[in-house]
Amino acid sequence: MTASRDIARDGPAPVTARAVSARGLASWLNSSKGLGLVLLAPAMVLVVLFFLVPVVVTGLIAFTNMSTATGITGGAYQVSPSALRVLTDQHGMGALAERLGQPTYTVDEQGLATLEEMGIEPGIVAGLRERHLGETYSSRREFERAIRALPERPATRTVKRISAAFSRSLANERFASAGALIAAAEAVEPDLDAAEKQALVEATYTGWTWTSENFRRLATSRDTERVFFNTLFFVATTLVLFNTGYAMVLAIATHYIPERAAGIFRIIWFLPRISPVVIYVLLWKWLAWDTGFLSALLSNFGVRPRNWMLDSATNAWVFVILINGFVGASMGMVIFASAIKAIPQSLFHAAAVDGAYRWQQIRHIILPHLKWPILFVTCYQTLSLLTSIDQTLLSTDGGPGGATEIWSLWIYHTALNNYAGNLQYGYGAAMALVLVVIGITLSLLYLRLFNYNALIIKPRIEH
Amino acid sequence: MRILLDKFSKSFGDVRVIEDMTLEVNDGEMLALLGPSGCGKSTTLFAICGIHKVSGGRIFFGERDMTDVPSQERNVGVVFQSYALYPHMTVAENIAFPLRIRKLPEAEVKRQMEEMARLVHIEELLGRRPAELSGGQQQRVALARALVRRPNVLLLDEPLANLDAKLRLEMRSEIRRIQLETGITAILVTHDQVEAMSMCDRIAIMNAGRIIQIATPQEMYRNPRTAFVAGFLGNPPIAFLDAVARDGWLAVEDADIRLPVPPGTRTPPDGTPVVLGIRPETLGREGDAPIRGRVTFVETQGRENLYDITLANGSVLRSIQRVSDDVSLNDEVEWRVRSDQIFVFSQNGERL
Ligand SMILES: Nc1ncnc2c1ncn2[C@@H]1O[C@H](COP(=O)(O)OP(=O)(O)OP(=O)(O)O)[C@@H](O)[C@H]1O
Ligand SMILES: [Mg+2]
Repeated sequence: MTASRDIARDGPAPVTARAVSARGLASWLNSSKGLGLVLLAPAMVLVVLFFLVPVVVTGLIAFTNMSTATGITGGAYQVSPSALRVLTDQHGMGALAERLGQPTYTVDEQGLATLEEMGIEPGIVAGLRERHLGETYSSRREFERAIRALPERPATRTVKRISAAFSRSLANERFASAGALIAAAEAVEPDLDAAEKQALVEATYTGWTWTSENFRRLATSRDTERVFFNTLFFVATTLVLFNTGYAMVLAIATHYIPERAAGIFRIIWFLPRISPVVIYVLLWKWLAWDTGFLSALLSNFGVRPRNWMLDSATNAWVFVILINGFVGASMGMVIFASAIKAIPQSLFHAAAVDGAYRWQQIRHIILPHLKWPILFVTCYQTLSLLTSIDQTLLSTDGGPGGATEIWSLWIYHTALNNYAGNLQYGYGAAMALVLVVIGITLSLLYLRLFNYNALIIKPRIEH
Repeated sequence: MRILLDKFSKSFGDVRVIEDMTLEVNDGEMLALLGPSGCGKSTTLFAICGIHKVSGGRIFFGERDMTDVPSQERNVGVVFQSYALYPHMTVAENIAFPLRIRKLPEAEVKRQMEEMARLVHIEELLGRRPAELSGGQQQRVALARALVRRPNVLLLDEPLANLDAKLRLEMRSEIRRIQLETGITAILVTHDQVEAMSMCDRIAIMNAGRIIQIATPQEMYRNPRTAFVAGFLGNPPIAFLDAVARDGWLAVEDADIRLPVPPGTRTPPDGTPVVLGIRPETLGREGDAPIRGRVTFVETQGRENLYDITLANGSVLRSIQRVSDDVSLNDEVEWRVRSDQIFVFSQNGERL
């Protein structure tokens, strides 16, 4: 802007200035940098909206204790038993907690008015006002002894009614603001110091707060370890057995059979990928149900019908890995098959005349050519298996008894759907954040691996 | 080791590529398989090394019937047209591959590999990958890999096609040297007649899946069996001229040419149309039969000049002569042909 204004001042007429700045814009657009930015803008907006913002929000929520109980908006201050426990356990203010939890008895005008309403003898009321107004008792027995000592000598039943009218307890009281809470607390415990007030406010707050507690919990929970190893087992086994291993077997097998048959064969392996997940998993369930195909078939041999999928942890794993593996194998198969197809036929001819039989050709020609495809498929599928949830959710839902609970499913169960009904958004977000961090770390690692090798390809040297 | 193709045929589906070919290559001989593109040269090689199964006939190495032996067991070295070096292996690994596959002891593999690398002069390239080599270097690696297992038979499929003229010349003598040194029986596929003539003991000319003639290069050049063979050999190529037999002479009537029937050629009956083959070097200042025409093209090739002369009937003959500047474009000339060196073919191309 400044530049074009300068030109305008020097130029003969303002008209020129506009022309110049328009030309400036045009040339900026013409420069590859400018045009690139303009073309990238929509993509950047989408990336920010659909990737960056969710990740950042997840990251923020991970540092809160949001749950169904706290809600996602603000909360109130409630001296609940659990709040008192927090006061005792985390702030070491057990004595204060006990006093706040115990009812106290304060003889005040409000209580006297209640007594009058209840129709207690006016003599007794007058006696209380005269002798005890303003006094506070920390135990019921003490207060009741004082009442009995009144000249009117109230009957035991009346004593109980009177003491109940003066009982002033904070337990389970809700306060809209911290100020109201402190005022009420001071009525019970007049000499609260600042630290105690602070602790009380924190402990009784029912809304969400910022905390790193989620991560401490994740790091120490025994569930973390179990789910972590479940996930590791799931990803590694599916990846090795199916996404690369079986995919490679399919790709190599179809390389050595006639083109037409190979095409049909590949399409069959694509079916799990292109059929809707719900239907695909439903077919598996139908296969495994106690009234399903497997049971029906095996009952002919005297095997007791059962739900094969959820019968035991081992079975559940077998099914989870098969279900995920058959979906994942197709991608590797296509990539490997096309990589094999790209190998010049003459290399196979050369290998054959050099004495290499089929399995030696596979080992010495095909596998070295599949190095990059294998690395690529491994990277890609590690990441997609880490975050995959749908097949496992629909088939075992982590069962039986959490045996097949994998990380992504655990997040879902913690934050979005569980039997206890208290959805722990903050804790779930922390788990998700850990997964995102693992994913990004792995991606960077893999990227380095790719780049590193691109770098070490030596330049072509000619004599 | 002798190679014998006995009534060998090959078809791909309905396409019959080779029919009833019989071809014998003697022990230690280098034979050129020469023919136009698509005539079945590669197909023949692929059948010999076992990459293609034959559709009919037998293949013998020495006395052994190899027809149904898989390529892995034929012990044939092949240099493919594209070299087919293994791109992920170094030069050393490429050359050693046939030995490693045979599970030779590593020390022995290394010794033989290095010996072979020395033979083809690539010792200093052993650590490189094929992508880091020039075409000629790749070609030598391919040759080393084919030879390292001491094959019974060496097959070369247009090995020099990708090289520049100078390198091609070098490699020609190099391959021939190695073949003679190792005494291996070799077949060289090419469609370059110079290559065939300069490198090989004998040439087999193929056309459309058949062998037309097998002979030494000289014999083939001097005594072609058909017009096709005559047309294939010789650079600049032979020129053909339609003529008729007339009174014991061969006449081109609308160009006023009369040539005597060359010795050893049976005189065709009067009025028979024939085709004369006249090589450029037989037409010039010396000879017995005059030919008149107009110079329509002159090209200097250094030591020699190449002329096209157009006859009265529009036919074109070629002449190659020592360089001189007494003839220029569009001159009318009367030159002579050595009539005892022309070839007479029937209308269907058979030599008379
Ligand atoms: N796999 C195949 N299927 C069908 N036809 C084939 C196949 N391979 C070769 N042919 C045909 O066989 C004929 C001979 O092929 P070949 O490769 O032997 O020719 P060539 O003499 O080596 O030619 P060039 O000099 O161009 O290499 C060609 O007409 C070709 O189209
Ligand atoms: Mg060929």
